[in-house]
Amino acid sequence: MIEQVPAVITAEKLRKEFGRVVALRGVSFQVPASTFFTIFGRNGAGKSTLLSIISGMAAASSGVIRVFGEDPAARTQRHRLSVISHESFLYDNLTALENLEFYGKLYSVQDLKERTHHVLRQVGLHHRRFDLVRTFSRGMLQRLTIARAILHNPDLFLLDEPFTGLDQHATEMLIGLLETLKAQGKTILLTTHDLHIGLRLSDQYMILERQQVVETGSASGLTEDALREKYFSLISSGEAGQ
Amino acid sequence: MSVIWAIIRKDFQMEFRTKDSVTAMWIFSLLIFVIFNFTFEVSRLLMLQISPGLLWVAFIFSGMLGLNRSFQVEKENGNLRSLALTPADPGLIYFGKFFSTTLFTLIFEALIFPLFIIFYDIHLSLLTLWIIPIAILGTIGFTSLGTILSAVAIHTKQQQILLSLLLWPMITPIIIWSVKTTGDVLAGDLSTAFQPVIIRMIVFDVIFTTISYLLFEYVVQE
Ligand SMILES: Nc1ncnc2c1ncn2[C@@H]1O[C@H](COP(=O)(O)OP(=O)(O)OP(=O)(O)O)[C@@H](O)[C@H]1O
Ligand SMILES: [Mg+2]
Repeated sequence: MIEQVPAVITAEKLRKEFGRVVALRGVSFQVPASTFFTIFGRNGAGKSTLLSIISGMAAASSGVIRVFGEDPAARTQRHRLSVISHESFLYDNLTALENLEFYGKLYSVQDLKERTHHVLRQVGLHHRRFDLVRTFSRGMLQRLTIARAILHNPDLFLLDEPFTGLDQHATEMLIGLLETLKAQGKTILLTTHDLHIGLRLSDQYMILERQQVVETGSASGLTEDALREKYFSLISSGEAGQ
Repeated sequence: MSVIWAIIRKDFQMEFRTKDSVTAMWIFSLLIFVIFNFTFEVSRLLMLQISPGLLWVAFIFSGMLGLNRSFQVEKENGNLRSLALTPADPGLIYFGKFFSTTLFTLIFEALIFPLFIIFYDIHLSLLTLWIIPIAILGTIGFTSLGTILSAVAIHTKQQQILLSLLLWPMITPIIIWSVKTTGDVLAGDLSTAFQPVIIRMIVFDVIFTTISYLLFEYVVQE
């Protein structure tokens, strides 16, 4: 028998309620290893909620979620994943180096000293390592955010609308980095409502609408126009909320 | 263990870059002491009765400032969330924040105390050293609860209001005990109630630190 490659993320009938508000109504999907997987969806579709459950920050009301074969709530696989959102997770009054050293200790990174210097060089901030983060420009902040996220060399990246508020240049840089990570065989899960960027990077995609999966598919061979047409026919008019 | 140290170290690195809170704390304490020293012409006996309360007003203010500083930095860029996403044990994160806040507050208090001695003409004796364990016990009671409630408050919008709403009733007993025992020490005469009250303070601290430690994991989740 052929051994199947186990999926990095497996979700089955995930449901999440906040009181009377339903944030996810039975979401099932799989993300195979080394795949760039994009989740499209409007405001309130349930993207962030899904990512919190995958990262283990929130518990599903019902359904099953497995990340690297384990329940993320058990926190055993934390060192293998990294979350990037529009928040930097950095300390303004620490230097670039101090920020990385701090997070490195929390992730018990081996040979931390060499590793911090390595990632700082990788994002082109080595010459600014002794400068306080609060003196950084938007683009530099973005690069340090990435340095922090790759510091512990995770296998899975969860990105929740990371392009929010970035200018053209910073966006291109982030795309470049994501392409590098993809080439390294990392598994990447991205949420966005930007069809153009999402399609450009993805191997597979999924559309969430009204807290449900309405479409999944392979992104190869799919043109942006075809995706756009599909997207707008699937999302009905009006509020995505309830 | 290294997690606790990493957090304390980081908090101190940041605090020494911005000394504005130390300045604010000094000015406030100075104001309290000046106002109550020169505005009321009261007898030395009466002053001895109210001064322990004044000292603790200044101490609690330091504690509030310490807590505020400690959690403001965890809020700004979603840092508390990112701490919770690391493999580090939430209990250790709690202790890191709890210790760093407590240390800050105690340092603030140590800076205030000499002012207090000068303004109120406190007679120093060996007995005055009791103020150290009392300050530590009172401060721990305040910061152990304050640490977890600050973490709760980060998730809510009106955080300052919620914080004081929850914190004040819960810390009332330990504040009363702190003022009482401080009064005994300053009067240079330990009453028979002194020892039992100290024991009560220890018990209070142990209970609330343990509860906060155990609950912290649930607080940092969404
Ligand atoms: N903590 C919460 N309490 C109550 N309701 C919530 C909470 N978090 C999310 N919701 C609700 O769940 C639904 C899905 O929200 P979610 O944030 O996951 O959507 P999203 O796709 O990330 O949207 P956006 O594009 O605006 O970020 C929304 O109706 C939202 O109001
Ligand atoms: Mg969202």
